[in-house]
Amino acid sequence: MTRYRTLIAFSLGLLATTTFATAGLAADAPAKGGTLVYLEQQAHTNLYPPAGGFYPNGGVLNQVTDKLTYQNPKTLEIEPWLATSWTVNDNATEYTFKLRPGVTFSDGTPVDAATVAKNFDTFGLGNKPLKQPVSEVVNNYDHSEVIDPLTVKFTFKKPSPGFLQGTSVIGSGIVSLSTLALPFEQLGDATKIIGSGPFVVKAETIGKSLDLTVREDYNWGPAKLEHQGRAYLDGINYIVTAEDSVRIGALLAGQADFIRQIQAYDEGQVEAQSFTIYAPGTRGVNNSIVFRPDNPLVSDIKVRKALSLAVNRDEILSTIFSKNYPKATSIIASTAIGYVAQEDKLGYDPEKAEALLDEAGFKLGADGIRAKDGQKLILTSYESLPQPQSRAVLQLIAQQWSKLGVKLNVLAGDAGSKVVDELDPLKTPVAVAMVGRADPDVVKSQYYPTNRNLLLQKGGVSDKVKTFSDDRLNAILDEIASQPDREKRLKAVADAQAYVLDQAYAVPIFEEPQAFAGAPYVKGVAFEAVGRPAFYSTWLDK
Amino acid sequence: MTSIDTFAHLTSTTAEASPRLGKRRGVLKTLRNFPYGLALAWLVLTLVLLWAIVPWIFTSYDPLQGTPGGQLKAPSALHLLGTDSLGRDLFARIVYGAVHSLSGAVAAVGVGLVVGSGIGLIAGSVRGRVDEVLMRLVDVLLSIPTLLLSLSIIILLGFGTLNAAIAVGATAIAGFARLMRSEVVRVRNAEFVEAAFGSGGTFGKVLWRHILPNSLTSVVAYTAVQFGWAILQISTLGFLGYGAPPPTPEWGLLIAEGRNYLATAWWLTAAPGLIVVAVVLSANRISQSIGRSAR
Amino acid sequence: MTRYVIGRIGQALLVLWAAFTLSFILLQAMPGDAVLIKFLNPEFGLSADQVADIRAAYAVDSNIVVQYGNTLVNFLRGDFGYSLQAGVPVSAQLATNLPPTLRLAGLGFLAATLLAVFIAFLSSMAPFAWLRNAIQSLPSLFISVPVFWLAIMLIQIFSFRFRLVSVINPGPWESLVLPVATLAVPIAAPLAQILIRNIDEIRTRPFVAVARAKGASETRLLWRHVARNAILPTLTIAGVLFGELIAGAVVTETVFGLNGIGGLTEKAVGNQDLSVLQAVVVISAAAFVTINLAVDLAYPLLDPRLRNRSGAAA
Repeated sequence: MTRYRTLIAFSLGLLATTTFATAGLAADAPAKGGTLVYLEQQAHTNLYPPAGGFYPNGGVLNQVTDKLTYQNPKTLEIEPWLATSWTVNDNATEYTFKLRPGVTFSDGTPVDAATVAKNFDTFGLGNKPLKQPVSEVVNNYDHSEVIDPLTVKFTFKKPSPGFLQGTSVIGSGIVSLSTLALPFEQLGDATKIIGSGPFVVKAETIGKSLDLTVREDYNWGPAKLEHQGRAYLDGINYIVTAEDSVRIGALLAGQADFIRQIQAYDEGQVEAQSFTIYAPGTRGVNNSIVFRPDNPLVSDIKVRKALSLAVNRDEILSTIFSKNYPKATSIIASTAIGYVAQEDKLGYDPEKAEALLDEAGFKLGADGIRAKDGQKLILTSYESLPQPQSRAVLQLIAQQWSKLGVKLNVLAGDAGSKVVDELDPLKTPVAVAMVGRADPDVVKSQYYPTNRNLLLQKGGVSDKVKTFSDDRLNAILDEIASQPDREKRLKAVADAQAYVLDQAYAVPIFEEPQAFAGAPYVKGVAFEAVGRPAFYSTWLDK
Repeated sequence: MTSIDTFAHLTSTTAEASPRLGKRRGVLKTLRNFPYGLALAWLVLTLVLLWAIVPWIFTSYDPLQGTPGGQLKAPSALHLLGTDSLGRDLFARIVYGAVHSLSGAVAAVGVGLVVGSGIGLIAGSVRGRVDEVLMRLVDVLLSIPTLLLSLSIIILLGFGTLNAAIAVGATAIAGFARLMRSEVVRVRNAEFVEAAFGSGGTFGKVLWRHILPNSLTSVVAYTAVQFGWAILQISTLGFLGYGAPPPTPEWGLLIAEGRNYLATAWWLTAAPGLIVVAVVLSANRISQSIGRSAR
Repeated sequence: MTRYVIGRIGQALLVLWAAFTLSFILLQAMPGDAVLIKFLNPEFGLSADQVADIRAAYAVDSNIVVQYGNTLVNFLRGDFGYSLQAGVPVSAQLATNLPPTLRLAGLGFLAATLLAVFIAFLSSMAPFAWLRNAIQSLPSLFISVPVFWLAIMLIQIFSFRFRLVSVINPGPWESLVLPVATLAVPIAAPLAQILIRNIDEIRTRPFVAVARAKGASETRLLWRHVARNAILPTLTIAGVLFGELIAGAVVTETVFGLNGIGGLTEKAVGNQDLSVLQAVVVISAAAFVTINLAVDLAYPLLDPRLRNRSGAAA
């Protein structure tokens, strides 16, 4: 099961502010007050906490809910938050958490063992009558047990070594019993999401704007954070502004303080006015294209290698992106856990690519397109709307491949057609992939047949796959997910990176950041590991 | 059905807005009133048509292959209209895009014209029950939001220039049907048609010889207006993310995608925008002249 | 007359039902479905079994005729259901999105009419032929500019460059200035063309010459006639444009970050959020038939000349 290792990184801003404070610059001490005007690109959807993976959702939930534990974004260690301490048994099937006393939800009800138990019962087992789905963060969940009002114990059917970190992600935000009692269809109304976080939803115009207001009595931030007590801001005003040029224009014209999603080509004009670009990395699987070997056109490793060698990353980055988009050196980001550099497997060598395609039997035809046994080497991929300039990247790759005599059709499609076609390797031999997450499990969930099944192996959601299955890869992935020993687990992560690239299943392109821009007076903005903003320590210097 | 008839009447006459200035003037003045605008309109359409047929004589650049590193260059002698985000020559993309945009608009108007006029012709000539049923059907088409209709059609047929054109055409059916019907009804009641029936003409013959040709003029004028409208509609679909798949250099898509670079590379949206304005204006101007000559 | 009115109402209901059914068929024919789009989304990371469970819970794979029947019955009861994507009742979405769209549309129409009358008059007053030609080609220019482009340009110029109006958190009236202008321009064009033609015709009529000979001001004469002549075409266009207006509104709403029915529709189509789309179709169809009914019934009252024709045509 996939896990969003989402962590709340207040450190960025905190580091800055504490450094200044110790240097005696009293003027830079955080000031209380003010409302942050935050422009979102998309409206949030369902705010059931496990749906927090969607960026707009995470951006809201992160301010409204607290988690049991806090993952330090620098050290990636798990630190106390709503839980003051915890114990785990040896084979990671029993977790016991001691809760912090005196914590309340914004509706006044206490955050106690029973409530926390109910939260994880729901996330771990789902709630069929209310149509609440299972969280991808909680695996092998069996049941909970309330030991005393502030002690709760979770039991798992099988070892679940990832659960502790799983309690720190946005998808495990603790909400009140009244929220959990609502059917799934009603959880898109932000005012119904009752959490214990530093901000409270005050009002919402669905699909347009959202007002958060500070909780004055908030006094239970992550224990090791420098900043304690209430958030500095009085409130946050989210406004959905879909049009890129309007978000940037509004920011530069002083109508907004902070915006999400800014493209590389706009960075220049933002920085020219000394506004700040924030491009936190997402620490997961790099922005890549992957092949579906069940499709006979790319079933030959030589073809895949050739296509990989024909991708010129430097050209893509210099044409479309900026310094905030580091070149990929493995299938996962260099800041991801278990990263091992694989640069030797990621070269650019068009001559060798041509030789490999010749070897594989794909000869240049009269129309300039390679073919084998009458089968033309024409590939198809959908653009991926959430990924930055996916359409431009694919067009550039198509251009690079066309020099070899390979055609890549880039499709823009509606959500329905895309979902259906992406399950069929014959229709989409190439796909765009990326996922932000700070845990080695990310590799497994990306490729394992019963998870995201990016390569479309047999045994997954798709019934269109005929034969393709890679047992060796799956064995490595299993090891990543189930190996309790940290060193052995990291070894498996390294093996997976090397194996995927040796087989040329994926062509990683760049380490994808989430790009934000803020006005110069916005201080102390922090990001969790996959780039969702946390405004607990944010303040306005004006 | 007053409103419907009147609407059709109005739409047919919107095309002929310009007053007959020349008629009140002397013969000498008519010479000075050479329709420069009309000539220019034909010139624009001819040029654009040539782009569509023989684009390669207008530019030596490839519209699909860019020069990496040469992206977002401002207009210069080397690149008349600058380059886009992938280093492709914008002028080449506009020239080669003509065939996509024009054929898209023609297909869209074609769908509306053939289906719509067909419905209108049958409704107007047969009258009675058939007329009622057909016109209520047209009402249904009008009552479904056009956006929903065209987006659904694109999703059903898949993305592409032609499919977008069909989607736009489907929303034009109702207008054509109403106009055609009202024209047919008008002509049908005319004395010479009554006479033709009176002198023993069969229904089909009268329809073909008298009704159809006499009702066509305003439909043709309307078609010219719709042609420009279709280009804009296809462009709007591109703006909403339902346009042709890349790297098709369809004009609407160029404007839609170029808008993101308004602050950094204004020519990317201004140049194709001006071309569309010129073509739509020309189509309207020609439509006016058709409408006027009909009176 | 009563029979005529009842007949028209019956026809209107029939159109409403047909629009509902047609859109239902159209939406069902699309590839994929809302549950698939929502839950196969990698953000959820659900397994095949879990997705199957959810599909069963939402009964998306049940018989299509049964689904149609259920939806129709629920709609007749006034229950629009829930938006699967947004996670809120459709009625709540309509409550937040309908008023702004209606306000925008209403003011857009008003502004368009004023603009059209203004252009028509300007052209009739223009002392030179070239100026008149220039003014008369304005409507053509208006309809040849892509609306989204116009909207972005207006924002760039008036909000970001000259900082006259704010797009983010504007006042209640401030928020309407630019969107109304954007919407009014393309609607004003056909109106202006009709008015210009009307003025031209009136001028050639004998009574104008008579009135002029008697010393009446020509401008006043034109005003009176144009005012009367402007009402009918505006009403007529209002009747047919409602559906199209939603398409126009989606662009304005997207660019200006306003909430409204247009944006709601666009998102719902993309996610195949059936209940939202059905509700939008029913509302828009209801508005369409109501406006047309009203216009049909009001026409003879407004224009005596049409009284006889209306009877004949109906």
